[in-house]
Amino acid sequence: MEEARKNFWQNIWQIMRKHRFAYYFILPTALAMLLLHLTPIVQAFWMSMLRLNLQTIEQYLLAPFVFLRNYYDVLLNPDSPIRIGLWQAVRNTAIYTFCVTLGTLWVGLLVALMLNRKFRGRAVIRTLFLFPWVVPTYVVGLLWMFMWQRGIGIINVLLVDVLHLLPVKPFWLIGPNTIWAIIIPTVWRYWPLSMLMLLAGLQQIPEELYEAADIDGASPWRKFWMITWPLLKPVWSILILFGLIYNVYSFNIVIMMFGFGAGFPGEWGDLMMTNIFRNSFQRWDFGRGAAISVLLLLTMIIIVNLWFRYYKRSEERVR
Amino acid sequence: MLEKIRQFKMSYYMRNRVVHYLIHVVMLIFLVVSLFPIGWMLFNSFKDNTAILSGKIALNRAPNDCARIEIKGDYLWTFGANGGISKFKKGSLSKVKHTSVKSHAMSYDSDNDHIWASTAEKGLMKLNKDNLKVIKKFEYPLWGVDLSKISSTVTLVGGEKVWIAVEYKGLQKILEFNKNTGNFSRLIDIDSDISPIVVRVMSRVGDTLWVGGNTGLLEISLSAGEVLKSYTFRSNGAYTQVSSMYTRGDALFLGTSDGLYSFSMSEKSVNRIYGVADGLISEQVNTLSVSGNYIFLGTSSGLSILNIVTGKVTSVSKLFASLDNGGIDHKTLSQAEVFSLAYDNGQVFVGSTRGRVSVLDVRENSVVDTGSLDKGHLIVRWRNYVDMWKNIDFGLYLRNSIIICGIATILAMALATLAAYSLSRFRFPGNKQFSLGILATQMIPALMYLIPLYVTFFKITQFTNIPITGTYYGIILVYSAFFVPFSIWILRGFFAAIPVELEEAARIDGCSPLQVFWHVVLPLAVPGIIATGVYIFLTAWDELMFAWVLTNADTMTIPVGIRNFVGNYQNRFDLMMAAASVATLPVLVLFFMLQKYIVKGLTAGAVKG
Repeated sequence: MEEARKNFWQNIWQIMRKHRFAYYFILPTALAMLLLHLTPIVQAFWMSMLRLNLQTIEQYLLAPFVFLRNYYDVLLNPDSPIRIGLWQAVRNTAIYTFCVTLGTLWVGLLVALMLNRKFRGRAVIRTLFLFPWVVPTYVVGLLWMFMWQRGIGIINVLLVDVLHLLPVKPFWLIGPNTIWAIIIPTVWRYWPLSMLMLLAGLQQIPEELYEAADIDGASPWRKFWMITWPLLKPVWSILILFGLIYNVYSFNIVIMMFGFGAGFPGEWGDLMMTNIFRNSFQRWDFGRGAAISVLLLLTMIIIVNLWFRYYKRSEERVR
Repeated sequence: MLEKIRQFKMSYYMRNRVVHYLIHVVMLIFLVVSLFPIGWMLFNSFKDNTAILSGKIALNRAPNDCARIEIKGDYLWTFGANGGISKFKKGSLSKVKHTSVKSHAMSYDSDNDHIWASTAEKGLMKLNKDNLKVIKKFEYPLWGVDLSKISSTVTLVGGEKVWIAVEYKGLQKILEFNKNTGNFSRLIDIDSDISPIVVRVMSRVGDTLWVGGNTGLLEISLSAGEVLKSYTFRSNGAYTQVSSMYTRGDALFLGTSDGLYSFSMSEKSVNRIYGVADGLISEQVNTLSVSGNYIFLGTSSGLSILNIVTGKVTSVSKLFASLDNGGIDHKTLSQAEVFSLAYDNGQVFVGSTRGRVSVLDVRENSVVDTGSLDKGHLIVRWRNYVDMWKNIDFGLYLRNSIIICGIATILAMALATLAAYSLSRFRFPGNKQFSLGILATQMIPALMYLIPLYVTFFKITQFTNIPITGTYYGIILVYSAFFVPFSIWILRGFFAAIPVELEEAARIDGCSPLQVFWHVVLPLAVPGIIATGVYIFLTAWDELMFAWVLTNADTMTIPVGIRNFVGNYQNRFDLMMAAASVATLPVLVLFFMLQKYIVKGLTAGAVKG
C-alpha cells in the first residue's frame, strides 16, 4: 500500500519532469487564470448564497448565509425586488439573441456569396465591408442612439420625411420598438465577422462540385442547399455557437444607448447583462446579482451542451 | 407580347453575365447602406449642433442678413451677418465685387480706405475697401477663450482707434485696437461694476464712448478707460434695450425696443419721442439714420420715416413684397426685419433679413429696386474637433485608454504566447483539459468575474489600505488576465502553422527547448503575435463594463468617459459624433494596417472548426 502510493507520486514526479518545459511555459497563465478566473467563479457561487449588499459587504464572507434563499427570490418569490423587470429582460435577451445570431449569419452569408465571385476590386470591397466591424461597440451604441432619435434622427427623417413610408414618426427608443433599436445595430456591427468566416469557408469548397451540379442542371437554389450549406456547416455551427454566447452577454450597445435607463425595468431595451449590472452596481445587491449570473451560466451550459450534442449527432449522420 | 417574353431565351453565357451584373449592383447598394452610418457619424461631427437639433439633413447655411450698408461715391457696400461683403454699383444695384470672410457674430465698421470686420473665430480683419481683399488679421488677446463661442461683436472705428465689444458666454469685454501700431492696446472691462450688459451698439462723442445694450446705456471715459455711469430706463417693468444710436449735436437718438428715445448728453436726461402710437410701424427699432429733416427707423417689421419739420410719420412695410429672382423664402418674409439703412440723395437703401437690399424713393414713397445678396456659406464646423477636447476631458481618456489597453495587451500577449506554444507543441497530461478550460472561460458571463472581483478588491483595500479600484494596475491586471484565454485560442492556430521540422532540427543541433522557443519559434510567430495583439488591443479598447466599475475619474477610459458625457450633455450631438469619430480613428488605422494578419488569424480558427 505504502509502496503503491510512493510509486504513484514517483510517477507523477516523472511525468512532471519529463514535460517540465511545457509546464514552465503554461505556469504563468495557469496562475493568472487561477487567480483571476477560477477564484472569482468559485467566489461567485459562494456569494450567490450570501445576503451581500451595501450593509453586509463589510463582513463579506461572513455575511449572513442564506443558502438558496437568493435563488428562491430570483426564481419563485414574486415579492422580491430583484424580480422587477427580470422576466422582461429574459424575454428580450431571448428575442435579441435569436434575431441577432440568425441575422448576422444570414446577412453575412448573403454578402459572402456575393463576394465569392471573380471581379475586379474584390479585395477592396471586402475591406470596405469590414468597416462596421471595426467601429467600437460603444460608438455603435452612441451612433445608432443618435440615428434612432424620434424627431431629428436620420432614420425617422428618411422613413417619414423623405420616403413617406410612415405617416408619423415612431418612437424607437421608448416602447416595444426598442428591441429593434438594439437588434439592428448589433447585426450591423457583427455581420462582417460572419461574412469573413463564411467567405473563408466558401473558398474552401471545391469548384468541381458546382460544375458537376451545373452539368446535372441543378438550380442555384438547389446548389446552395445541397452543396454550399452542408459544406459550410463547420463554419456556421461555430458562428451560431459563438453568436449565441456573445449575444446573451451583450452589454455595450445597450448601455450606451440607454444608460441605466436600459431599463427602466420592464422596458423592451433591457437585457440580462444590463439587468444584472443594474442590480449589482446600482442597487448594490451583490448576492442576488451573483445568483442570477450563476443561473444564467447554468442555462448557457445547458444550451451549449445541447448544441454540441446536436452537432455531434449530425456529424455522425453525415458519416 | 407576354408570349414573346416567355419564349425569349437567353444564351447561357448571356444569362450568367446578366445575373453577375445584377448581383454586383445589389452588392454595391448594400455596401453603401452598410457604410452609411459611419459616413453619417463623420458628416455630423462637422455639423453645427443647431442644424442637427432642427432635424436638417444638410449642413446649415449661415444667415446672410444684411447687417450694414454703406454708400460712398458711386458705390454701395453691403455687409452680411455671415461675413459676406459685396460692393455694388449704386445706380443699378449690379454687383462689382464680392468676398466672404466666413465667420459668425460679424460686425463691421469702416473708415475711408479700409473695412474693419470683427469675427468670432478669426479675430479682427482689415480689408481693402476698393478690392475687398483681406489685408491682415489680428487675433483677439483673449487667451483661453473658446472663440467659436463668441456670440456677438460690435465694432466702432474712430480716429486712430477701433473698439470691439465682444460677448463671450454672457461676459462682455471691450477691446481697444490701435490702427497705427496694429496692436490691441487696452481692454476695458465693463462687467465689474455695472449690471450685466450685452452691447448692441457703440458711438463715440469726444472722449466719451456711449455704449447701448440690453439694459440701457453706458457712459465710458476713453481717457480713463472706465465706466463713468450707467443709465437704465424701464418701460412696462422691463429694461429698454438700446439697439441703435445716432448723434446729432447734443442729442443722442436711441433706437430701442420701445420706440425712439432722445438722450440729452449735457443734461443726461432721456425722453421717449416716438412709438407705435405716433405711427411707428413697430416698437422694436433696430437701426436708425438721420438725414436732413428725416429720421429713418428700421424696425422689426419695416421702415418708418419721420419728418422732423412736419412731425409726419410715413411707414413702409411693402419692402418685403415677393421677389421674382427666387433668392428669397416667401414664408418667412412676414418676420423680416430691417437691419441696416443708408440714405443718399433722396433714396434710402434698406438692408434686411435674408440678404435683401431694397431701394426706396423717399419722395414718391415707393420701392424702386430690390436685390439680394449671395447665400450664406455652408457652416462646416471643424471646430467641433477642437471644442471636443475642451468640453470632454478627452485627452485624459485617450491617455488612460492607451496606457491601460497597451500594457494589458502586452502582458496578455506575453502570457498567451508561452501558453499557446506549450499547448500547441507539447503533448503533456492536462493539455486537453487546459485547452477545454480556456474555451470554457469564453462561456462565463463577464459579470460573474466582475462582481466577486469588485468585492474582493474592496475588501483588500479595506484591510491593507492599498487602493485597487480606480488605479491603473488594478484594471490592467484584470484586463490582461481576462484577455489571455482568447489570445491563446487564436495564437494556437499560428503556432500550429509553424513547421515542426525547424524545431526538431534546432533540437538536434543542441538547443534547449527554451532556446528553440526564443531563437526559432518566436521570430516566426511575430506576425501572428502582433495580429493577435492588435485584436486584443481592439477588444480592450472596446471594453466598457469592467472599466465602468474598476476606474474612477482619473483613470477613466474612453467608453466610460463618452458614456458619462452622453449622460450629462444629452443634446450635444455634434460633440458626441466628433468624440465617436476620434475614438474610432485609432482603431480603424490599426486594423487596416494589420488587416491581412488579423483576418488570417481569425479565419484560420474558423475553417478548421
